Amino acid sequence: MFKHLFKLIWNKKKQNALLITEMFISFLVIFAVSTMAVYAYRNYRQPMGLEYADVWVVNYQPPANIRTLDSVYGFQEALRREVKAMPAVLDVTYSGNNVPFSMNSSNSTLSTDDKRRANANFYTVEEAYPGVLGMKMKSGRWVTKSDLVSNVPAVVINARLEEALFDGTDAVGRYVHTDMEKLKVVGVVENAKEKGAYQVVESGMYRHLDSNAARWTGTMLLKMKPGTGASFESGLFRTLSDRIGSSIEIEHLDEKLASKNRLSLVPMIILFVVGGFLVINVALGLFGVLWYNISKRRGEIGLRRAVGASGASVSRQLVQEALFLATLALLIGLFFAVQFPILHVFDLPSSVYVAAIGLSVAFIYILVFLCALYPGRQAAAIYPAVALHEE
Amino acid sequence: MLKNYFKTAIAVLRRRKFFTFISLFGIAFTLTIVTVLAAFVDNTVSANYPEVHRDRSLYITLLKQENTKDQGQWNSPASFYYLDKYVSTLKTPEKVAISSFFNPTNAYRNGRKLAVNLKYTNAPFWEVMQFDFIEGKPFTEQQVANGERVAVISEDTKRDYFGNAASVAGQTIEVDNQAYRVSGVVKSVPVTMPIAHADMYVPYTVSKADYRQPTLMGNYTAVLLGRSEADLPAMQAEYAAVVARVKPEAKGFDVFKSNADPYLSSFLRNSPFGDTDDGGVGRAMMAGALILLLFMLLPALNLVNINISRIMERSSEIGVRKAFGASGHTLVGQFIVENLILTFLGCCIGILVSFVAIQVINGAGLINNIHLTINGTVLGFSLIACVVFGLLSGVYPAWRMSRLQVVQALKDR
Repeated sequence: MFKHLFKLIWNKKKQNALLITEMFISFLVIFAVSTMAVYAYRNYRQPMGLEYADVWVVNYQPPANIRTLDSVYGFQEALRREVKAMPAVLDVTYSGNNVPFSMNSSNSTLSTDDKRRANANFYTVEEAYPGVLGMKMKSGRWVTKSDLVSNVPAVVINARLEEALFDGTDAVGRYVHTDMEKLKVVGVVENAKEKGAYQVVESGMYRHLDSNAARWTGTMLLKMKPGTGASFESGLFRTLSDRIGSSIEIEHLDEKLASKNRLSLVPMIILFVVGGFLVINVALGLFGVLWYNISKRRGEIGLRRAVGASGASVSRQLVQEALFLATLALLIGLFFAVQFPILHVFDLPSSVYVAAIGLSVAFIYILVFLCALYPGRQAAAIYPAVALHEE
Repeated sequence: MLKNYFKTAIAVLRRRKFFTFISLFGIAFTLTIVTVLAAFVDNTVSANYPEVHRDRSLYITLLKQENTKDQGQWNSPASFYYLDKYVSTLKTPEKVAISSFFNPTNAYRNGRKLAVNLKYTNAPFWEVMQFDFIEGKPFTEQQVANGERVAVISEDTKRDYFGNAASVAGQTIEVDNQAYRVSGVVKSVPVTMPIAHADMYVPYTVSKADYRQPTLMGNYTAVLLGRSEADLPAMQAEYAAVVARVKPEAKGFDVFKSNADPYLSSFLRNSPFGDTDDGGVGRAMMAGALILLLFMLLPALNLVNINISRIMERSSEIGVRKAFGASGHTLVGQFIVENLILTFLGCCIGILVSFVAIQVINGAGLINNIHLTINGTVLGFSLIACVVFGLLSGVYPAWRMSRLQVVQALKDR
């Protein structure tokens, strides 16, 4: 049967080559869109790993007149005490400026003793940080202020980085290296989606705020009592403004997440709309061409009917022909698509590509099937007497 | 002859309505996307409110310090001190506007919170930028020098802070825990214009940070306004001579770089396209054209398929014309012109649809205060895209048609 179908297609190779090219390019477009969609969905399914409700972020310019280390510590401690004493504030922590859902990032390469390397986000934190953000430990403990005096600085890494550097074996007690120094892992924290709900979990390393960083710290995270409103916030703003003396801003983590999510969703929606229109366009074109081809083959179809083929078998054959064309196009498409997981283009997990390939193959088959169905029906309705009479 | 082609084209269009619909749908949709995209790019790149003098302005947005030994790089906008000392003193520019990037901060009013982007500027900023003042006026050189707490606010801020008040000039607005007297209200600027956008503009002298700090790096940008477009090379040369004298301040850093660029290159220079003589504009345009061509490939292929079907339908006509001596070239020419006519028709529909689409985008507030328009540039670009699309989808079918054998074509009947 395939030999026969192939012969039919080969006889009209010029026209079919164009159809195949069109299906092939459609496949690539669908593959690109579905890769993005599958990837975003996979990330969306991962647990958030942190509690962002009722967490406020205070950004301020570190006061220029407070320079010496003692005065920086004095200033930060006094501010912390005052804020923490407020009734609506449950907990306070200072942090580097790359708080969850912010546009800031700070990353560098880490390596292990046996020279495995991975890129990781570097976070500057304090003891209260996991409490404020509701992060859970996987093993070991969080960093504390007393770690600052040890010879080998202590750090906490997240589960993703543990997987990347130590293949998932317990990292507590092992060492990692930056370009400049050696660090000891004292704990592993569960992954948190710090770049937004649709973004992938990134590797992270958490280190206690030290004397170098303190001078440049301009970010505080506050865990508030649920339902704290703008009237309290304006009082807090005034107090902080008076104490800090420079420009400040208060943000809410849930709003930051919403705007971050919008940033990932808007391009995807635009791509879907454009891809959708392209597909409608292609579907209409395919439908038109198939329909036209069948009306050109009335003589052949009439002859088939005359020698005993049933209407159903004629229409089945025409749909099969279209699907066979699609298969040829998909084979070429697959050749290109499988290069992505094999060559690790874009650093996405292979399973994303596999799922996307599956989706796009199914999509193209369904599309071609639907486009061929009606012309096939039309062909089945051809009366041999009428068709042959025209000849 | 063209009239004849036109007549044939219309006759063919009316023959198979479904095919006509598919063709026009494909062309119109492709052109709509291209036009909307062009409108967006035009809106961000060309001289729009309030930066109407972009064609005779140069922008200084970035300072670079490099450590050639360790490949270290430190990029940042300039400090006010740097711009005041090295840029304000340039002889060739007519005026120099200095302003900070917008700093987010908050205001609280009647139990509500407002996010306010604050920008610190000098007085010439109001002459370089042509803001529409809905009421009041900008702050003056004297007010800046005196460090008066005066502010120009955007229309949005006026609405959010004062509600429906008719006139607010002279009233007090409290932002970032500071009270300011409103000096004027201007039409809002979208965030896609980072140099001009802010919710509130105040003199740099009232900044909480110390603007006199003698460092190079900071948070300020400068716009150099020339007397005419012809002044730009002289301004660039004078600035380059000044930059050559500046020493990098960071330890171990040995190279100091900064450019005064036209608007587009001032942004592209920091992108992967940058670091060519024109700041990467040429390369960015090449990349844009390539992406556009790829995008048009699929609809064009679709049209090629349909056109071929259509041509085969006309094989008898072609056979007869060939039999009476029409050359292949004539037929190719005829078909390409016919296809261009079809494409122009689709293009017109596409432009009509894009008018609607742009109204929807403007209305939906996808980006606050952005106002896309279809102007001459955008229309011209759409027409070019239209011709490219017409050729892309017409040349191959026309070639196929011209090669049709007379005997074959006539036998089919």
